[in-house]
Amino acid sequence: MALAEFVAELAGLLDDAEKAFAAAGDAQALEAARIEFLGAKSGRLKNVQKGLAGVDKDDKPAAGKRFNEVKEAIATAFEAAKERVERARTAVAGRRGSEQFDPTLPGRPVRLGHLHLLTQTIEDLKEIMGRLGFTAASGPEIEDEWHNFQALNIPPAHPARDPLENFYLATAGAATGSGPLLLRTQTSTVQIRVMEQTPPPVRIISLGRVYRPDTADATHYPMFHQIEGLLIDRHATMADLKSVLRLFAKSYFGGDGHIRFRPSFFPFTEPSVEVDMSWNERWIEMGGAGMVDPNVLAAVGYDPEEVSGFAFGLGVERVCARRYGVTDIREFYKNDVRFLEQF
Amino acid sequence: MIVSWNWLKEYVRLDMSVSELERRLMMAGLNHEETSDVGGDLAIDLEVTSNRPDCLGHLGVAREVAVLFERELKLPPIAAAESGPPAESLSSVSIEAPQLCPRYTARLIQGVQLGPSPAWLVRRLATIGIAAINNVVDVTNYVLMECGQPLHAFDLAKLAGPRIVVRRARGGERIVAIDHRAYDLAADDCVIADAARAVAVGGVMGGADTEVTLATRDLLIESAAFDPLAIRNTARRLNLHSASSFRFERGLDPEGVDWASRRACHLILELAGGTLAAGVLDAGRQPPPREPLVLRLSQLKRILGIDIPADRVRAILAALGNRETRHDAQTVEVVPPSWRGDLAREIDLVEEVARIHGYEHIPEDVSVPMAASARRDEDRVLDRVREALVGGGFDEAYTLSLVEEDMSAAFSPWTETDALVAHMPILRRADRLRRSLVPSLLAARHANESLSNPTIELFEIAHVYLPRGDSLPDEQLMLAITTGADFHALKGVIEAILTRLNRHKILEVAPHPLPLVEAGRSCKLSVDGTLLGFLGEVSEDGLRRFDLRGHATVAEIKLSVLLELAELVPRYEKQPAFPAVSRDLNLVVDEGVRWEAIASAVRAAGGTLLENLAYQDTYRDPHRLGAGKKSLLLSITLRDPAGTLTSQKADQVCEQIVSDCRRELGAELRA
Repeated sequence: MALAEFVAELAGLLDDAEKAFAAAGDAQALEAARIEFLGAKSGRLKNVQKGLAGVDKDDKPAAGKRFNEVKEAIATAFEAAKERVERARTAVAGRRGSEQFDPTLPGRPVRLGHLHLLTQTIEDLKEIMGRLGFTAASGPEIEDEWHNFQALNIPPAHPARDPLENFYLATAGAATGSGPLLLRTQTSTVQIRVMEQTPPPVRIISLGRVYRPDTADATHYPMFHQIEGLLIDRHATMADLKSVLRLFAKSYFGGDGHIRFRPSFFPFTEPSVEVDMSWNERWIEMGGAGMVDPNVLAAVGYDPEEVSGFAFGLGVERVCARRYGVTDIREFYKNDVRFLEQF
Repeated sequence: MIVSWNWLKEYVRLDMSVSELERRLMMAGLNHEETSDVGGDLAIDLEVTSNRPDCLGHLGVAREVAVLFERELKLPPIAAAESGPPAESLSSVSIEAPQLCPRYTARLIQGVQLGPSPAWLVRRLATIGIAAINNVVDVTNYVLMECGQPLHAFDLAKLAGPRIVVRRARGGERIVAIDHRAYDLAADDCVIADAARAVAVGGVMGGADTEVTLATRDLLIESAAFDPLAIRNTARRLNLHSASSFRFERGLDPEGVDWASRRACHLILELAGGTLAAGVLDAGRQPPPREPLVLRLSQLKRILGIDIPADRVRAILAALGNRETRHDAQTVEVVPPSWRGDLAREIDLVEEVARIHGYEHIPEDVSVPMAASARRDEDRVLDRVREALVGGGFDEAYTLSLVEEDMSAAFSPWTETDALVAHMPILRRADRLRRSLVPSLLAARHANESLSNPTIELFEIAHVYLPRGDSLPDEQLMLAITTGADFHALKGVIEAILTRLNRHKILEVAPHPLPLVEAGRSCKLSVDGTLLGFLGEVSEDGLRRFDLRGHATVAEIKLSVLLELAELVPRYEKQPAFPAVSRDLNLVVDEGVRWEAIASAVRAAGGTLLENLAYQDTYRDPHRLGAGKKSLLLSITLRDPAGTLTSQKADQVCEQIVSDCRRELGAELRA
């Protein structure tokens, strides 16, 4: 390339750049112009610089000199424009009456979602029980009568099997002899399924949705969540049960956490007890518990003379409602985002 | 069971405070509901668990009090002079349905004088909420509430025969009960009949025709045992629940049949006079003798974790009415009392001893051995999914597993098989086990729109129930998401979740028509060719069906696929130390050319040097680009893991990309 041609290109570039900088009315326009001419990657000055390589060898020093002069001139023009824009900005601010930075304006919002309160509760319970050595287990919500009743020592004549006390499936079963299916009424079904698959010792916590035909009111809902613990070992006793429940109560609710047993009746445990814990100098109900009934152990193929165990169950909604002061458990299923976002 | 304080005093000395009594009973298994004052007496309401029908009478509760406070139990007199003719000469009893009624007894009293009961009896019944009727009916109610055994008094003169036949109801048989309502009976119902017709629904309620009135002179007093299940079915089917059916359903003391009969006769003779016929009409099986149970004392320590002295164990069992037949240093053998049908195994005795000894003796601070427990992969994956969604501004919803029929039918991308149906709805008309969570979330959108909540960004993780013939359904854990934003916003959320679980996986989409969803904005999602889920913008029709005002986009993801591909323990990959070069490219293509095609051409042309390809923007301008054209701005990052990438090399790659896109897709680089 001839020197003249290169110099002409430089002159054109300088002319364009000065015009563009002069025309820039604000900082944004000026920045765009800066990128166009002085951009490090593909600015026009950079492109012209590449042309330097093509200039005849003898002309190179002159071309280089001229290039540096133009580069400096463009930089000067940019600085001048920058100063002008900045002055103008301050002047505008001055007219508005001394614009000031306001740190008390709200920050730009970041929207975070919320886990459902029941999920938070379930995770808390799982975490505490995990530290006590209980591993989470789950099983189907639709069950056969063996797992929901028979194996749990609830014989066919038992009132708990009444069709009005359960959600049976309308169609399944009878025709093929596989037996009727129903929505599980307790998560103890999971205990049966785990014990059927696992030789002792067993230490699990089962969780999930259960279904009972209760009329929905502030303390009942036909679908709710249960958390049930099961421990089977060679020497598991009711003292172990009480001690585990105490650790659990102290961990979750805090406080003095004493445990009280009141006799009760459940088909799948014997002895069966209602569990109370002390809280703010009062006894409050926690749930049901007991020693796994020998019939249940035998039903899953364990030897009741070899192993013993305990089980306990809590209603997640009730535990959660108490802890957070929710006065109507139907709130959990309304999904009003104003409720969801409180927690 | 409501217990009268004054009545209870008849059988056991009550020198403790009522609150102490309530507390001790509660700690022994009779939960205290409330106590109220009724005309100077106390009505104490106790919750009796279904295994303890013996406590459905004052005597049973008194027995518990006697055991707990170590008092003597005083049984009331049952002796009655049988001065009349032999009962067989007056009537007869036969059982034709022994499955429904194993034993039926009748005693006969002639010449009674009907009239009002004395004040003490009226008051006691009033305390527990039973209205007095006449001295005979009141006695049967009194004995029922005394020992738990239901009784019925017939007017003997109104019985055809006069005789009693216990049989199944005949087809079309109908009875008017003493509540003066008519009941249609079925063959599974046990009826008490005379020679002509049904006169009572066995174990449930007597008939109006033969009830005792002020004109009655001669009585037949029924005391019987009925099958618990049969009684329950009849009471349920007729929707006729009585104090009698409640007790028979739970199984009663077989010895109580005769005791109650004698006790009632004793009281009737005392209060209404008359002459008791000699003997009893007693049909059916006598109660079988009870087998002894052996309690190994070692079992107490093994199950309860505490030692209880042998003497204490024996004393508790004896106080509860168990007859000790043998004992040695290791065992106690007892025959349980007839009223405790629930004591049938060794473990039942363990519970009895523990209950009376007191659970407060069981320590709450033993050291339970440690055990390893690990979080399940499923839980770890769900945690990450939830974290990503919460970070993306979504609130978690919980909706019912069953939905109404039209909701169930509205959207079912996973199966075409009809939804499973529960035999009764769980709430309102919701009886279909859902096959998708999407309709439930759209309903939740609607609920929130009705509350004028401005931002409705929801997700739910729950099972759907995909039918599999008669076996248990396929319960698939699903993640459903709904947003007010558009298709690509939700696609971005799903891509973020996918990347969080495995950064090497790419979300594949393919157009797929779905109900409720806008045609053309409805896609099937896959990863490595495996179906992951569905995504689409809700159509006008879909919005109308769920009564939604605002725009909505929905997606449903099968979590088992995410669980399968999740890389919970990723392997370390060393990052290249050499600098990257970035380039922006503006490619003008025909409107019909999809990003997927461009991306694939760019990746192929970029080869191993292409580290990242990012879509930036689409620009349309018919004047500058021409009609039917669009310009896509994309950014590429190039890096040579083996050395610094020169700008010449980067330019070469860009040129290759542009020329390949031109050749394959007709793309032009926009100046």
